[in-house]
Amino acid sequence: MKKTVKTEFSEYKNSRMRRAEAKNGILFVLPWIIGFLGFTLYPILSSLYYSFCDYSVIKEPVFTGVKNYVTLFHDQTFIKACKNTAYMMLIGVPVTTFFAVAVSVILNSKKLRHTGWMRVVFFIPTLVPTVVACLLWIWVMQPETGVVNTLLGYIGVKGPGWLASPTWAKPAFIMMMIWTCGNAIIIYLAGLQDISESLYEAAEIDGASFFRETISITLPLLKPTILYNMVTLVIGVFQWFAEPYIMTQGGPNNATMFYSLYLYQNAFTYFKMGYASAQAWIMLVVAFAIILILFKFLKFGESNNS
Amino acid sequence: MEKKKALAAVMATMLIASSLTACGGTKDTENMDASQTSSAQTQAVSLDGDKTTTVKTVKMGDNDVEVEVTDIGKTGTFTFWSAYTGDSAIWEQKRVDAFNEAYADLGIKCDLQFVPDGAGINNGKLLSAIAGGTAPDLIVTDNSISCYQYAAEGSFMGLDAVLDEIDLDVSSFFEGCKDVMYYNDVCYLIPQDTNVIMLYYNPEIAKECGLDPENPPKTIEELDSWSDAMTVKTADGSYDRLGIVPWLDSGNEAFILPYLFGADPYDKETGKVDLTSDEMLNYMAWIQGYAKKYDPEKINAFTSGLGQMFSPDHPFMTGKVGMTITGNWFSEALKEYAPDVPYKVCAVPVPEGGRANSTTFGTNVFAIPAGTDPDKAQLAALFIKFAEQGSINEDNFSVWRSIPVIDAAFDDVSLTKNGDEMYALERKIANSPENGIPALCSVSAELSNQFIALRQNMIYNPDADAKAALQTLQDQMQATMDAK
Amino acid sequence: MKKNMRLYKMGVFFRKFILYFILLFFALLWLIPFFFLVMGSFKSTSELFQVPFRWLPKHFDFDNYINMFQQIPFLRYLKNTLIIVFFSVVGALISNSLIAYGFSRLRWPGRDKVFMIVLATMILPYQVTMIPLYLMFTKMHWVGTFLPLIVPQFFGNAFYIFLLRQFLTGVPKEITESSRIDGANEFEIFLKVIMPISKPALASVAIMAFIRAWNDFLGPLVFLGSDRLYTLSLAASMLKSNYDPNWDLLLPLGVVMVLPVLLLFFVLQKYFIQGITMSGIKG
Repeated sequence: MKKTVKTEFSEYKNSRMRRAEAKNGILFVLPWIIGFLGFTLYPILSSLYYSFCDYSVIKEPVFTGVKNYVTLFHDQTFIKACKNTAYMMLIGVPVTTFFAVAVSVILNSKKLRHTGWMRVVFFIPTLVPTVVACLLWIWVMQPETGVVNTLLGYIGVKGPGWLASPTWAKPAFIMMMIWTCGNAIIIYLAGLQDISESLYEAAEIDGASFFRETISITLPLLKPTILYNMVTLVIGVFQWFAEPYIMTQGGPNNATMFYSLYLYQNAFTYFKMGYASAQAWIMLVVAFAIILILFKFLKFGESNNS
Repeated sequence: MEKKKALAAVMATMLIASSLTACGGTKDTENMDASQTSSAQTQAVSLDGDKTTTVKTVKMGDNDVEVEVTDIGKTGTFTFWSAYTGDSAIWEQKRVDAFNEAYADLGIKCDLQFVPDGAGINNGKLLSAIAGGTAPDLIVTDNSISCYQYAAEGSFMGLDAVLDEIDLDVSSFFEGCKDVMYYNDVCYLIPQDTNVIMLYYNPEIAKECGLDPENPPKTIEELDSWSDAMTVKTADGSYDRLGIVPWLDSGNEAFILPYLFGADPYDKETGKVDLTSDEMLNYMAWIQGYAKKYDPEKINAFTSGLGQMFSPDHPFMTGKVGMTITGNWFSEALKEYAPDVPYKVCAVPVPEGGRANSTTFGTNVFAIPAGTDPDKAQLAALFIKFAEQGSINEDNFSVWRSIPVIDAAFDDVSLTKNGDEMYALERKIANSPENGIPALCSVSAELSNQFIALRQNMIYNPDADAKAALQTLQDQMQATMDAK
Repeated sequence: MKKNMRLYKMGVFFRKFILYFILLFFALLWLIPFFFLVMGSFKSTSELFQVPFRWLPKHFDFDNYINMFQQIPFLRYLKNTLIIVFFSVVGALISNSLIAYGFSRLRWPGRDKVFMIVLATMILPYQVTMIPLYLMFTKMHWVGTFLPLIVPQFFGNAFYIFLLRQFLTGVPKEITESSRIDGANEFEIFLKVIMPISKPALASVAIMAFIRAWNDFLGPLVFLGSDRLYTLSLAASMLKSNYDPNWDLLLPLGVVMVLPVLLLFFVLQKYFIQGITMSGIKG
């Protein structure tokens, strides 16, 4: 996050002017304050309250203490949803990050020309409306008539059932995640552009290889950008909803029952608003913890290297 | 004499035979609205002092159909949410247009909105509308299981008084349908039509495998041996063709097969969820037997397709399975996407102690949300009555092969008149006293979904202990229900 | 020595070739789904399901597209989508420019702390606020209308505030000084001096708000009920979940939904990249 510079108020001599400016400032920010109170703070707090209640929309909420939380940890579907989401975090996020960084580093290589159109190619999947992307991937991943298995067939591999297979459904989702990582690539490219050319020149004089340069110069300097993109991905995985909702409805055998999908089901299919709110709060706390860990982890690495 | 003829005509067109019970002899036609001089041809008979029923001819799509119109002396507009999509939505529009034409003179209008996802039942829209006081006056939904849950939670209006008011007698509806109509002896939901579950089989494959297509399996043992006979394994251990995949199509619905096996997942009398009965365990053992035989991961390509019945890659259409258990609508799917695939149907085979020659009723239901203005509720009920007529449902029945909810009404369906064999079988199955709709309770939706998830788990882990898993789910669902 | 140099040069060339080849391979792979989408949109249902898979349709005619426009109330869905998009963009521009101005060019006590809260809301998963918002809008009778999708857009979005603030912080103070001395009030300065020079940043915000509203799925799913109000995304997902998905209509619909976004991208590429970059760098 951007570190903000502390403003020196003392430089303002005229306190009336200062007060006028402060008043104006708050007036300008007022829409956000109202929006924050009404559409963010109030929902967060009431969500916390509901998470301790039985609430089915029609009847008034009934306070039940920590019952929802206790029930959640005995709920097999919830545990499965947590595992699936963890799978995406532990495998999907790193794989996607690796791919995005690798592509960006190669795209950024000064020695390669004519890569402009490729940036566009990697970026445009992010523009495809999620729903259309899902419809598309249902077809791309078809066991018999799908593009992926057709291509695998060309090299003599019999592709799996992908979305229809409990083992291969999540990898199919990861492939989709990678396909839509164009935003991250753009951000990595911008981050790479900020790395001073002179560092590479110096390294080249020392005879460092491209690989060596990447490991010892590019990656350490790219860390803040990696952090940003990973945080974005982690939040994205928690919110991963439209894809399983449209493509698999959580199946087969709950292999793609992800956190947000189960939350949605509890809220809008079973009308357990309190139960779903408890899920939302666990998500908030865990997401926050993961982001803190990411910060610590990447910061720690940084200080080690420099 | 003229009157009597007219009355006879009315009777002939009436689907709701029971309206007659309210008919206190023929009275004069003075109550008839004199303004009914529209292009529609009008015949009239008074059935009651303050209610008049007339017969009109109105447009239903391109066809002229005769419909009954009941004047209850009230006017107004009511809103109607319909869950139908695709071709059914086109039919819905025709039905509403016909209603509006028929009732235009009486100043009654139906304001139709299409609300996919079960008329907002599956996604919280209806509940939100009820809680917010913006609910429609009438809904029709294809998700009767969740709809029942709404009824149990008090989201719908009890209809007995309203039905009485507009002379719609539901007592002659199939007993099996009444499972979904009543909660605690109050009528909340009115089925529009219903479906019948059958075994579809490919007679050519049967013949090829030395089976007699005229003598389809009647017991589970026979079904298993048919299935084995039809199965073709390749050298590398995968399959070219399977007999039956018991978790395909209707087998993938929550409780259809368990019910036919004889299980009663929920007991209305005691209010207990029962997933551990012998019949249920028997069913699970049967499913797991197939899972062990097939290795579900391997036959994915068979069952996955695009997961839907209306696509040309359905395994029955591609000849990858020889049999499947599904509803009458599958005939329409076959007609559209695989007209060359021959098929025959028979009642679903069941084990000893099961419900032989029976079906569960998959039905579309009407409901009126709680809190609807009583006058509007009556107008909405008029629409329900209108929609129960054979003339209105004719297209529905002939295209989808779904069936009326009253046995007598079969006689008016053109499929019956034309001597259609399959429709006769549907009628026969529909009349089984063992028919019903299983597992309707205040947690229907979740119970179904969780049970499906559990069964999938058992299929992918065919050696897992089904009984223990079922017991856990049973306790969990019982607790959820008791907390309500 | 000379030989070594040649070897080295060959090595460089070879390495370049390998890298380029890898990129090319992936780039082509990336395009395949698009290729499939376009080709598939011309195929009939039976062709789509045909085994083995064929890359090209048998005929290139627009029957599927014509059927799609005839059988799906496309224009209604488009109109609904555009209403939401329009108000989302307008709301995002008005509110976020004001807010960002207040956070960047005016000083008031506690400003930077409050701004940290703004940033914190960026990592708040939507699911946390979704349920209470749904319940709140239910009480306000807003569920089943466009309002829950439009109104919140007029109260700022952390992402856009951050982006515009980045931009405005970079604008030199001197630019506004002269107007201030001329006695212009703060709002006039904002409107007449700052807004005109912020056009590139505003363009980025407008584009991002457009894309977000155009592609949104969860919002319309939770808040819209009747088919009359459906957006294109929601309609497409509902069509897919029908008993008969009618793939020969869905794929053309998909093409039609992707096209405007791609066109916009190729025309305004600069602002797309700028928006993403500004929000990402040193984030």
